[in-house]
Amino acid sequence: MKITQGTFSFLPDLTDEQIRAQIDYCLRNGWALNVEFTDDPHPRNTYWEMWGLPMFDLKDAAGVMLEVNACRKAYPNHYVKVNAYDSTKGRETVAISFIVNRPKKEPGFGLVRQEAPGRTIRYTIHSYATDKPEGDRY
Amino acid sequence: MNEKPTDTLDRAQTPASREDTPIDLEAAFRDANVQEVLDKLDRELVGLKPVKARIREVAALLLVDRVRKGFDLTAGTPSLHMSFTGNPGTGKTTVAVRMAEILHRLGYVRKGHLVAVTRDDLVGQYIGHTAPKTKEVLKRAMGGVLFIDEAYYLYRAENERDYGQESIEILLQVMENQRDDLVVILAGYRDRMEKFFQSNPGMASRIAHHIDFPDYSLDELIEIGGLMLARDQYRFSPDAVAVFRDYLVRRMNLPHFANARSVRNALDRCRMRQAVRLFDGVRSNMTVKDLVTVTPADILASRVFKDGTLDMDKPPPRGA
Amino acid sequence: MAKDKSLTQKERYKSGVIPYAKMGYWEPNCVPKDTDIIALFRVTPQEGVDPIEASAAVAGESSTATWTVVWTDRLTACDVYRAKCYRVDPVPNAPGQYFAYITYDLDLFEEGSIANLTASIIGNVFGFKAVKALRLEDMRIPIAYLKTFQGPATGVVVERERMDKFGRPLLGATTKPKLGLSSRNYGRVVYEALKGGLDFTKDDENINSQPFMRWRDRFLYCMEGVNRAAASTGEVKGHYLNVTAGTMEEMYERAAFAKELGSIIIMIDLVVGYTAIQSMAKWARANDMILHLHRAGNSTYSRQKNHGMNFRVICKWMRMAGVDHIHAGTVVGKLEGDPNMIAGFYKTLLSDKLPANLEQGLFFEQDWASMRKCMPVASGGIHAGQMHQLLHYLGEDVVLQFGGGTIGHPQGIQAGATANRVALETMIMARNEGRDYLREGPEILEKAARWCGPLRQALEIWKDISFNYESTDTADFVATPTPVA
Repeated sequence: MKITQGTFSFLPDLTDEQIRAQIDYCLRNGWALNVEFTDDPHPRNTYWEMWGLPMFDLKDAAGVMLEVNACRKAYPNHYVKVNAYDSTKGRETVAISFIVNRPKKEPGFGLVRQEAPGRTIRYTIHSYATDKPEGDRY
Repeated sequence: MNEKPTDTLDRAQTPASREDTPIDLEAAFRDANVQEVLDKLDRELVGLKPVKARIREVAALLLVDRVRKGFDLTAGTPSLHMSFTGNPGTGKTTVAVRMAEILHRLGYVRKGHLVAVTRDDLVGQYIGHTAPKTKEVLKRAMGGVLFIDEAYYLYRAENERDYGQESIEILLQVMENQRDDLVVILAGYRDRMEKFFQSNPGMASRIAHHIDFPDYSLDELIEIGGLMLARDQYRFSPDAVAVFRDYLVRRMNLPHFANARSVRNALDRCRMRQAVRLFDGVRSNMTVKDLVTVTPADILASRVFKDGTLDMDKPPPRGA
Repeated sequence: MAKDKSLTQKERYKSGVIPYAKMGYWEPNCVPKDTDIIALFRVTPQEGVDPIEASAAVAGESSTATWTVVWTDRLTACDVYRAKCYRVDPVPNAPGQYFAYITYDLDLFEEGSIANLTASIIGNVFGFKAVKALRLEDMRIPIAYLKTFQGPATGVVVERERMDKFGRPLLGATTKPKLGLSSRNYGRVVYEALKGGLDFTKDDENINSQPFMRWRDRFLYCMEGVNRAAASTGEVKGHYLNVTAGTMEEMYERAAFAKELGSIIIMIDLVVGYTAIQSMAKWARANDMILHLHRAGNSTYSRQKNHGMNFRVICKWMRMAGVDHIHAGTVVGKLEGDPNMIAGFYKTLLSDKLPANLEQGLFFEQDWASMRKCMPVASGGIHAGQMHQLLHYLGEDVVLQFGGGTIGHPQGIQAGATANRVALETMIMARNEGRDYLREGPEILEKAARWCGPLRQALEIWKDISFNYESTDTADFVATPTPVA
């Protein structure tokens, strides 16, 4: 299975050149960028670990690539994503977010059903990877 | 994606006719639009003949290198890191801005901006603080030029455990491995810079171009003063020029003389005195001419004339 | 067009009938206050009726007036309560039609009530005999009044944060056929489409609780599909569960069940009425639910150019009323929509400070005072092969709904969804890379189709589909309707 979070997950994994082009787009828009990684890709896991602070005032993608590569090197088998933040009034949120590294094997999620009255079912999305402790998952 | 521009620099050639291929260096020069930057530099900075000549040489070298690269005659990116040495106020920062522009136009840096820093921006206060600070600056400078003023402060011979050393090591690594992403210009006094290079051979070996910025001559300083005034819509009265020359002769012999920067500061004070003179004097019958003219009185009020000291209460920072 | 307006108090309140213009409803020198509500009407007076008198009558009938003089006026500060028409312009290229600008004092309206606002502005006045036809074109809502409304329950920013989806339009599809599927089969469509790559699926406007499929059953099967798809993709997914029903009590009951099942979004139809919409918006805000509005019924009064009301006014009211999604046109699809007009609707829903723009039908500057943004939904006859045009015309903050364009895919619903998602992501990537994606669109899609079979088939099957009819609702301030490439 392939987790399809992020802006470009249905495309083949991005090449470094493609990543750089997207980062340059963000910089042209004046957005700050940051790199995040996780081994718990649950769809509601909002807070991936931050690889350093967001980078402000950069002019060129090379600076961000430095961090992308460092993070990928440190966590070759984690999910790594690049986020861009737009601080414009009225938006003030993530403007784009895309995965730049994923584990070799993605076991994905199981759906746990708890039967409740009136044929109602309560659903839990369970990540197989999180059966193991943090750091040993992929 | 990212198709290369098919300008004269990148035209592909067949190997058979290689040696005899005519090269239109003039066209390459024109396309890169470098002359425009050199002209701008000429307009902006008075004098500095040797510096301008060196910039031209560097530009020529880089241009030819690019053309050679089009024929696979050059291997890899040449080292472009530079050192600008000279006293304060000799135009190092201004030239660095133009150099960034030239490098951009010749395709050696992608964005062409200049990030100017000093030791304080690179070196931290406590353990673990320096690496992120230096990296942060490097990331901001990528795609352009990193200008480190008074670079020798990074190295403190007397203190082995100074955090500056850590910063130097990170700089060296990036200067070596990411030549495509960043050009570093180290700047400062000539003698101190030489000592810095002696104690840091790794740094010295990565600097490809040394450019020395001489002090301005007295005539050049007066011309600079005139230009500065004109840019702000002021002018010297005819008899004020000689007084200003007299001022400069005295000022140059005082400590902390900083070439063009000292001229700038002196003129700022002249404008202040001129304003006070107009304000305190007879305010009727004034003309526009009065508003734009700096007179001998405005210069002579300086303490440089009165008691041969600087126009400041506190000791000025270096280079003021 | 200036006229003598003033009558003495004695003349003004003498029993009988006097022209509206002379009763104080026409005040050419009036400058609207910052707190006034301003409305722009397109007035088509009956033959022989003076346009100013007709416009003054509209002001009168939409505020304090009745057909004759009443002495009880004099017990009130009636000068304040009278709406005032202050400007009448002939409509360009439309003989016999006039734009009437009418300003209303804030005190004429109840706080936070679209029902009260509309009871005046589009109340009796639309049946008034002195005008042949009447259309409400635009309104300027003052901040003072806006701030009495909740606004979108969730809004674009929070919706994206909850969905964890950024930097691209969202994708949806309406389950088809519209009517007749059993709940079990219906949920299958939901699962397939969401697993294939869509973010949302949707009940259609007339799916409520019919004999072939009762609502509770539908909710249960749809949520099974939603959760299965979320688990198999790792993404947040949603299905707009339509809670439209005959009474508010039933709507609340259905909404509560949707919440109990863990749905992130519910939907209602415009036909439930303004008050019901506002109630559901409050419920949605209180229960962390995204509220989708289907604009069912709007074309009965928004489509004809001379009578009814412009859809941009509905957009304004619905943003105030508090919905998070509203269908607002596609430009290139099967339903009505001139590009300029649609751009005006989208801006109305998504901007904070919006300058006037006559070409896009925005007659007034509108400051939304940080009211949350409402996500426009583009639905009806669109497909993957138009992705470059959709992105160009509609931008990034939009839900693109490919119903037939997903479910009609020859390889199945999942393939249809994948084709849309790949086409979208490819186009966003190209745009961000600085490509001239509108011009190179077909080429960019072709290239992606080389490695994506479902997209290849989608492009092949729908390549000739386009709906080139002239729009009826077009701008009055451009010479010709904008052609669609």
